[in-house]
Amino acid sequence: MLVKLRSIANLGLETVAVDVEVDVAALGFPGFTIVGLPSKAVEEARERVKTAIVNSKMDFPAKKITVNLAPADLPKDGAAYDLPIALGVLLGSGQLELPDDMDLNKSFFYGELSLDGSLRPTKGILLLGLFAQKVGGANIFVPQASAPEAGVVAGIKVIPVETLHQLVKYLTGQEKLNPLLHAPVKNAYDEQLVEFDLLEIAGQEQAKRALIIAASGGHNLLMWGPPGTGKTMLSRALPGILPPLSPAEALEVTRIYSVAGLLSPGQALVAARPFRSPHHGISAAGMIGGGSNPLPGEVSLAHLGVLFLDEMPEFPRSLIESLRQPMEDGVVEIVRVAGHVRYPASFTLIAAINPCPCGYLGHPRRECKCSDKQIAKYRHRLSGPILDRIDLFVNVSVVETDKLSITGSYQGQKISSREAKNQVIGARQIQKMRFKKENRSLYTNSQMKNSDVKKYGYLTSEAENLLKLAADRFDFSARSYFRLVKVARTIADLSSSEPILPAHMAEALQYRQII
Amino acid sequence: MIKFLSSWLIESYPRLPAQQIFLSSCYHGLVDYQKIEDWQKLKELKNLLDLANPPKQLYFQGNWNREIFKNCVAVVGSRKMTDYGERVVEKIIPRLINQNQTVVSGFMYGVDQYAHRVCVDSGGKTIAVLGWGIDKKLTSLDAKLAKDIVDSGGLLLSEWESQEGTLWTFPLRNRIVAALCDEVIVVEAAENSGSLITARAAARLKKTVWAVPGPITSKTSRGTNRLIAEAKAKMWLGEDSMQLSLSPNIDPLLQILENEALTADELARKLKTAVSEIGAKLSLLLISGQIMEKGGKYYLTDAS
Repeated sequence: MLVKLRSIANLGLETVAVDVEVDVAALGFPGFTIVGLPSKAVEEARERVKTAIVNSKMDFPAKKITVNLAPADLPKDGAAYDLPIALGVLLGSGQLELPDDMDLNKSFFYGELSLDGSLRPTKGILLLGLFAQKVGGANIFVPQASAPEAGVVAGIKVIPVETLHQLVKYLTGQEKLNPLLHAPVKNAYDEQLVEFDLLEIAGQEQAKRALIIAASGGHNLLMWGPPGTGKTMLSRALPGILPPLSPAEALEVTRIYSVAGLLSPGQALVAARPFRSPHHGISAAGMIGGGSNPLPGEVSLAHLGVLFLDEMPEFPRSLIESLRQPMEDGVVEIVRVAGHVRYPASFTLIAAINPCPCGYLGHPRRECKCSDKQIAKYRHRLSGPILDRIDLFVNVSVVETDKLSITGSYQGQKISSREAKNQVIGARQIQKMRFKKENRSLYTNSQMKNSDVKKYGYLTSEAENLLKLAADRFDFSARSYFRLVKVARTIADLSSSEPILPAHMAEALQYRQII
Repeated sequence: MIKFLSSWLIESYPRLPAQQIFLSSCYHGLVDYQKIEDWQKLKELKNLLDLANPPKQLYFQGNWNREIFKNCVAVVGSRKMTDYGERVVEKIIPRLINQNQTVVSGFMYGVDQYAHRVCVDSGGKTIAVLGWGIDKKLTSLDAKLAKDIVDSGGLLLSEWESQEGTLWTFPLRNRIVAALCDEVIVVEAAENSGSLITARAAARLKKTVWAVPGPITSKTSRGTNRLIAEAKAKMWLGEDSMQLSLSPNIDPLLQILENEALTADELARKLKTAVSEIGAKLSLLLISGQIMEKGGKYYLTDAS
């Protein structure tokens, strides 16, 4: 008998409906074949399904079984077809009959089977939920551990399944399964555990201020200074001052994490803004995304969050250059055998570099052991186009030891992460109101195009004069001119000022390109 | 016939090496260098004859101009230049140019090259005495500096045609630096720095040797400080150090910077003001040219 069940395939963030056709033939030599461009993981479903059915105290029919995953020319990957295949075999061999009122056209089956017949957490459930939402009034049968992912989607019935046996009992009416309650995305923000509070970092007031500006306007930031001055520590404190994700943003981020399979079992949403800090040994595929069935890379996992590159010149130059396109467009396109995939990659870049290979150039006490050539070579690894895309440059200098001591008499201006975060949220709110009318994904000042800068800059004439003076003195390019206005805009937003005053512009000049 | 052939051979043979030299300099893509014929007879180079072991030959690159050999001052120092050394070079060189003096140095990275660079950038003339053969192909940054020196009317000088720079060539180069000039200023030198050899050679030739005092904690000032302590050199002090204090700065920020160079963070702490405010103020002072920034620290611009 032929049975047709519905499931999905995820190609990047795109979801395609897949029909799982199972035929249990009355005649023919016993066998089990899967066709429809299955990957190795799908092929192995045969063994998992066979064993899971037997271990669920049902019979695996000794007949010729053919499974077709349609559309047949789309490559299928992952173990999520275990559940529809197993169910298809049971239906096709007549061991199970569906209730009359069940509409197979509106039911989606998705999940990986374990050998004992239980369902394992499976990636991509959120995308299934969003796809089912479009169908309308659909039921989705998914592993219990991953079900909360789909729980945030309205208008669908999510039925969490623990074992194959339980699903069979439910379908024959012997057991009730409670559909998952819809849990809308909350505005509330889960308090996030942060490694460092800004209060814990001694000195570095200017760097802290730069962090706040970067977080407020989504500006890319480059910190440079000798080793041990707190560049890494400062960046670790950054997640603590980033504004919470809005519901729409949370959904956007969770989709990526769902595809990558990075949501922990039971986790419904990525509530905190992503903070990714890949090691410099990372491959191009790891950074940009890749694989025969392309998975999102670090740039996409940092979408709407922060990508932190510690010791940036240590990354291969080609890798740094490959960041240019996503930094410009906010999306990354990956072309592989399986097809053409687009992942969003709108991130804030925070980079930390040493002033020279040994790190001690300009150090007040230690001597630099590098030759001019070595220094030039080191700086050369960061190309002009990359530096051109960085809005804020800040020098993280050596803190005198007496300021480090806990009992020391040091009395600088201190700001806690909580206060900083409130400032950031305030500035973001102003930006949100400003860009409300724009009908595109423009959230922060850093995303403004040159035309937007002219439209929303509100430069006072004094500020503009100051900028012109500075442009003469420091030899700005046109790009750095606009970049400065954007930074000044954020600084003005931080002090809730509608126009950009000369003081804001002057402060922005502090963070101009210094290398 | 045989007679004709042999005369042709004799005629053409001496031309071959000359051709080779021409070809090799073309290959390097540099300005042609030249040998100074009978340098001993040139008046402008007579100082070199004072040396116990004057060079046998001299080669140069650039346009020969005897004027630049008048009023030469050597500015030499450590290969490992600190921020302080950089500042000192920036202070010394413009003054020398103002007094119409030629800056002589050893074209080694660090203080030497920086002295050449500042001199060229400020429109002065400079002579670089190389510690290697004149035909050596220079790499990117060095080649650019060499080109700028020649373009600005300066000279590259060497006593060798083809010679790698090695341990023994640099001290030999130093004696020429010392002989060419009337005064030597040692900017920064570690305890056994090569610039101390220059200072010694200059003293032997009865030239005035200056040393710039540095912090006693800095390794790269130990050599210069010792020169001063042992009275082998005069202490070089910026002449305008008096003038600066005559015009008191009213701005508290400038007052603080008078005493020491500080970062924005340190200034904010000292003045008990928010760093954002200090930053804005610093930008304005930078634009007006009253202060300058280097490696995150702010300095008062010299009054001169």
